[in-house]
Amino acid sequence: MRPTRYPATRSTPHAALAICALTALLGGTAAARAEDPSSWREIETKYIFGFTTGSGIGLEGEKEVTVDTVGRFGKRDGHYAATETKYEFEFTPSQFVQIEFGALGSTHNIGGMTDLDGRNQAAFGGGFAEFRYLAVERTSNNPLSVTLAVEPTVRFIDETSGARVHNYEFETTVNADLELLKNRLYAGVNLLYEPEVTKTATEGTQREATFGGSAALAVRLAPNLLIGGEVWYLRHYDSPTLSAFTGDTLMAGPTLYVKFTSKMFMTAAWNAQIWGREVGNPLPLNLAEFQRHRARLKFAYEF
Amino acid sequence: MSAATMTMRTWILAAVGAIALLQPSWAEPAAEVRVTYSNGQFQPGVVNAPVDKPVVIHVRNLDAKALEFESTSLRVEKVVAAQSEGIVNVRALKPGRYEFYDDFNDKARGALIVE
Repeated sequence: MRPTRYPATRSTPHAALAICALTALLGGTAAARAEDPSSWREIETKYIFGFTTGSGIGLEGEKEVTVDTVGRFGKRDGHYAATETKYEFEFTPSQFVQIEFGALGSTHNIGGMTDLDGRNQAAFGGGFAEFRYLAVERTSNNPLSVTLAVEPTVRFIDETSGARVHNYEFETTVNADLELLKNRLYAGVNLLYEPEVTKTATEGTQREATFGGSAALAVRLAPNLLIGGEVWYLRHYDSPTLSAFTGDTLMAGPTLYVKFTSKMFMTAAWNAQIWGREVGNPLPLNLAEFQRHRARLKFAYEF
Repeated sequence: MSAATMTMRTWILAAVGAIALLQPSWAEPAAEVRVTYSNGQFQPGVVNAPVDKPVVIHVRNLDAKALEFESTSLRVEKVVAAQSEGIVNVRALKPGRYEFYDDFNDKARGALIVE
């Protein structure tokens, strides 16, 4: 649900760009010193790019349980912190299809904001399912892999405000990645179209959509360690047909993937808004539909 | 044709399509490949299969402990108990090199060459 506008108090942060550059620099120099990666096992690419999703769909028969938390921090004024956690089960019934489903938990810590009620709450947020189909598979002769995914979600707690709502979202994505250097360097690209409908007790029914994409790079420093950076460009509309543009944003930040054992891994990412605009508001950044920072932390266990 | 019949037909077609997606290897005859595992190594280390045909990999484990036959590029995994045989069904493959390994033993590697 899209909140209303806020007065400005701070200007655009540039820390994320600096961290991206530092990450790339450290990755490059460390990679040059590291061992020959041709002896490493191939890696599953789905979670190596942070918020950007790779094309991997797992292994046939594989199952995974996951706790995946995304936090959103900072609006125009006051104090704003919200998280949404997916408690997820995923499995791969064939060599082309992956299915996921689970429950959502959300927290909101909001205070001193112009247009959002103050609240400090934790709640059951809803549920989701995801269906992924591998459309183009990587081989030793073709470094490109592409997966198509749809993710219907039902929420009972508004992502932004924490208010009680009925929200129906249908995220559609194209997840592509390219192995630029064998077992060493990967590029990821996502395209996103996410229409949603929100019904509230006080404001009726609101329809909106987010459209955009991302680009990411991940370098494998060691068999079980990848670092990288990603950039997201997102546009927001007050219509699922993309006819009522309300603002856009550019976010960037570093990513990390660590495989603890052959069956357990974590991924972490942080994005800061480095540019944004709101239609009808001359202030920098888009903090009506998006946030100053977002972070992701995911732990997974395969069996 | 009534709207209800149309709706039912649409659902049936959608279900058939979904099942087809889950079963990509059709009824084509499969190529058979045999691999033996002993002393912590696959023998032979490199095996071959034809292009665009499903592959059935017979993994015979002669060792006294279980192995997990696994491959990221083949997108399969299979635990094979000690001194037994496991069967791994793989979709029709494009030309290329597909690496496999024992997930319980980092030194046990092999490759399927499809050409």
